[in-house]
This record gives sequence, structure tokens and C-alpha cells, in this order.
Amino acid sequence: MQYQLNASKRSKLKHIVQNPFLYAMAVPGLLFFLVFSYFPIYGIMIAFKDYNFAKGITGSDWVGFKNFDYFFTSDDFWVILRNTLVLNILFILFTTVAAILIALMFNEIRNKYFKRISQSLIFLPYFMSWIVVGMIVQSLFGGEEPMINTWLQYIGLEPVNWMFESKLWPYILTVIRVWQGAGYLSIIFLAAITGISEDLYEAARIDGASKLQIVLRITLPLLVPTIMIMTLLAVGKIFNGDFAMIYAIIGDNSMLYPTTDVIDTFVFRSMRQLHDFGMSSAVGLFQSIMGLIFVITANWVTRRVSKESALF
Amino acid sequence: MRQKQSAADRTFTAFAHTFILLFTLFCLFPFLLMIIGSFTDEEELIAHGYTLFPQKLSLDAYKAVLQSDVLFNGYAVTIFITVVGALSALCISAMLGYSLANKRNVLQTPFLFFCYLPMLFSGGIIPFYIVVSQWLHLQNTIWVLVLTMLCQPFLVFLLVSFFRTIPEELEEAARIDGANEMRVFFQIMIPISKPILASVGLFYALNYWNDWFMGLMFVDNEKLFPLQLILRRMVSNMEAAKNLIPASAAIAVTPPTYGVRMATTVLTIGPIVLLYPMLQKYFVKGLTVGAVKG
Repeated sequence: MQYQLNASKRSKLKHIVQNPFLYAMAVPGLLFFLVFSYFPIYGIMIAFKDYNFAKGITGSDWVGFKNFDYFFTSDDFWVILRNTLVLNILFILFTTVAAILIALMFNEIRNKYFKRISQSLIFLPYFMSWIVVGMIVQSLFGGEEPMINTWLQYIGLEPVNWMFESKLWPYILTVIRVWQGAGYLSIIFLAAITGISEDLYEAARIDGASKLQIVLRITLPLLVPTIMIMTLLAVGKIFNGDFAMIYAIIGDNSMLYPTTDVIDTFVFRSMRQLHDFGMSSAVGLFQSIMGLIFVITANWVTRRVSKESALF
Repeated sequence: MRQKQSAADRTFTAFAHTFILLFTLFCLFPFLLMIIGSFTDEEELIAHGYTLFPQKLSLDAYKAVLQSDVLFNGYAVTIFITVVGALSALCISAMLGYSLANKRNVLQTPFLFFCYLPMLFSGGIIPFYIVVSQWLHLQNTIWVLVLTMLCQPFLVFLLVSFFRTIPEELEEAARIDGANEMRVFFQIMIPISKPILASVGLFYALNYWNDWFMGLMFVDNEKLFPLQLILRRMVSNMEAAKNLIPASAAIAVTPPTYGVRMATTVLTIGPIVLLYPMLQKYFVKGLTVGAVKG
């Protein structure tokens, strides 16, 4: 065969000409990335421009770092940076703990039907769009007589005006996040548990270990690498990815911005409402760069833990 | 000693069952409230709020919603983008994945890098918006809903890692027998990749079914609103729920706006929930493959 990976340029070209389909098959996908991912990267220069619709990206005037100055010196900067970090840390921490517990407990269940049905139901919220979740949240907490308040009064507690209490929302959002994502994550942990050698369990049982001991001394420690990797991947994505959730639930309720406004929602709002394209892209660029740094760091740490699991 | 241990084990097993049962109920509860709420009489909803055991049931909300052109239109849009989008997305991703996974591909490294980078670094939403609306002029077309979500790097890499597990000999044998690239792909790769193709296809279908962001960004024409966007307007705006009820639908004295919101939600998630029991095993399989290689 004439194809070698370290072949010269000429023989590479020859290979491409002789196997046009192998390369042609990649073209639609590559085109997609070119148009919808790479063209926008070119558009990043808007962050350094006074963007004007009529003049376009290339035609608008350069303003240097003015857009960044404006953002970094505003009070909003610290608020949305803090919110982004706090919410994500809460989400990652509680979803991971819940998923580990679910996976460990699930592994103890022997009844086939109970197992199948409960797994289906735990996984179900993951399939819902955030809009549906938003609708559910709206029915529970919103409106003139929130459902939650009816229950609170029923057990003799004072009703709460949820839509004004921004302090409570990080917790509410965390509960929603666990509800939506813990089942999904637990499947990955369960897959890892299934991979643990049966011999270890048998040896432990012969030594007279109790179920709890087996979980604590065998299953959990052997699950740690998977937990680390999933956590690191989540940490890598800390700077983006919550838009759909938060925007669908909080929407344009400015009463809740002090604790729920994150970088994504801030960028979206400054684009849609303020039409400040320059500053919004500066914020977006800041987000992308921070995201990149986090992903690379997370990947570096992941490689230390387990080489095969690293992203690159 | 042995006796004591098994007592501890029994307690542990009981705890495990209770924990799973409670979490399952926690996951199920909001859906139950939604479904029951959608069948509850509007006056009772206003008077007593949502309950699991309403005293008076009513089909008014569904009667109103099912006469709404807006909703049917939304269904048509969503079904169109889900079917067309998921099929083309699957096709494009599978071909790309095959090409990327193939050891003979002399451009493998640059190709992989080209597809990896967008996962790590993106231009952000503003440049994306400008590219789609100002350069490609896709806003207010149905294609903006299909094209912008055609290829997901993560799902492409699920496919790549699956194709890599297929023994090379299989492909080589076919090649020696005189099969060309297309034949190898369609007659060997596709049939043995059915489980992964099913799960990736389902993930794409789900993405399209649940999308509202592209609609929110690029579509103002109500005729092109996907289901989720119609639902979103009702979350933020009670009036939108009222507007969904056609004037011709002469029902009750109070228009069932709360009920309509829930009935619409139920109808929006309905098809997914109905398909779900059949599809679940593929999702689990797909996720497990993904977990092996993050």
C-alpha cells in the first residue's frame, strides 16, 4: 500500500487524488465548522471596534480596548463573574454528589422492574427542554398564588414572594439542576461501576465484608478517577453553557439579576436590549479566553489523573 | 457475627431502595403536577391552586389548545426541523466521523484539529449572530433552524471513537475484494454501527425538538416558530396563553389560561415521553460509549 502517515507532500496529494471519496465525505462537516464556527472567530475583531451595522465587521472603526475598559470597570462585571462561578460550583458539587449516591444505591437494587422503571424516570428530566422546565418552575413559584406558597401555608409557614427574593434563587436553581442532570451523570458512573472486576467483590465477600464496607472500600475508591474526570470536564466548561437554563427560568426578571445574571445572559441582554455589540463581544471574548484557559488546565490535570481520559 | 452483618446489610439495602424511590418520585413529581393540572377545572385551579387530587376534572384546556392554529403550526415546524435536521445531521456527522477515524486519511491530524478547536474556542454569540444574519441572510427562514445545529463536535467524536473500535481488517478485506470507499461506508460501516448511529441520531433529534434559542435569535415570523418558542412566550407572558385560545372556541366563562399553559406543555413533551421507553436503551448505550472516551 502506498499510503503512509509520514509520506511526503506529493504522495499525500496522490493519496487524496486516488481516494477522493474518503476526503469528500468530510467536506460537508468541515464546511459546517468553517461557516458556523470559524467565521464567527474571525468576527471577534468586533470586540475591538465600534461596531456599526451599515459598515459591517471589517468597515467599522477600531477603538482599541475601549469596549473592555467599559466592561471591566462596571459594577456588573464583578456581579456576573461571581454569579457565574458561584452557580457553577453549586451545580457541579451537588449534581456530582447526587449522581454518585444514585449510582452507588442503584447498584444495590436487584429487582429488575424497579430498576428499569426508576432508571427511566430518573433519566427523564434530562430530555426536557429548559423551556418546559421553565414552565414548571413558573407554575411552582410564579403567578399571583405560587403553588409552593399554598403548600407552605398548608404546613403553617409564611408565604414568600419568590420573584423578588434573589437570595433564594441560587438554591432553587441548584435543586433544578440536580433534578435535571443527576440522573444523566449517574448513568456514566454506573457504566464505570459495571466495569469493576467481579473478583474484587467476591474476595471481599469471602472476607466477610458488609455491603456498606464493600461500597466504601471498593466501589467508591474505584469510581474516583471517573468522578475526577467528569468534574474536571464540568469545571472546564464553567464559563459558558448555562444560558439555556438560566434564561429559560429567570427570563427578563431583573429583580433576580443580582444572583442569577451570568456572563451568557448578560451578553445576550446587552445584544438584544442595549444593542451594544462592541461591549457584548468584548465580554464574549473574555468568556471564550477564560473558558479556553479552564479547559486547557482541566485537561492538563485530567492527563495527570488518567491519560486516556484526557480530551487531547 | 454473620447474623449481625446480614442485618446491617438488610438495613443498607433498604436504605438504597428508599433513596432511589424518593429520588425517582422527586424526578416524577413535577410531571405529575403538570399532567394533572392540565386536566383540572380552571376555576378550581384558581381557587385551590394545583393539587395532585383535583375535585373537578375538565378537558377545556385541551379542547382550546387543539383548536389553535398557532400550536399546529408550531408542531409542523418542529416536526420538519426534527426530521430533516436530525437525518441530515446524522448523515453529515457519520461521514465526517468515518473520514476522521480512518487511519488512511493523510489529513487526519489537521482535520481533527479543525473539528476540535470549535469545542475549545468560539467567537461567541455576537459574531455568530452577525455571520448568520448579516452574511448568510438566514434570518426568518426555516433553514436557520436546521443549518445552525447540523454538526455537534461532541457527537462527531462519539462516532469517531466508535469507528476506531472497528477492526481495520474488516475494511481491508472488503477493499481487497474490490469495494470502493462508498461501498465500504454504506455496506460495512453503517450496518455494524447501528447502535451508535441510533443514539447519535436520537441526540440530534432531541436537540432539534427542544431547540428554541435559534428561533429566539433569528426568527420573528410567527409562522416559523417552533413549539418550544411558542411555549416560551407563554412562560413570560400570560396574554400569549390567552391568544392561543381561538375566539371560535366557545368554552366556559373563564378562558382556561393556566390550564392552556399546562396542556401545551404536556403536548410539547408528549411525543418525547411516548418514544422515550423505546429509545432509552440507545441513549444509555450512547452515553456509555461517550464515557469511555470523554
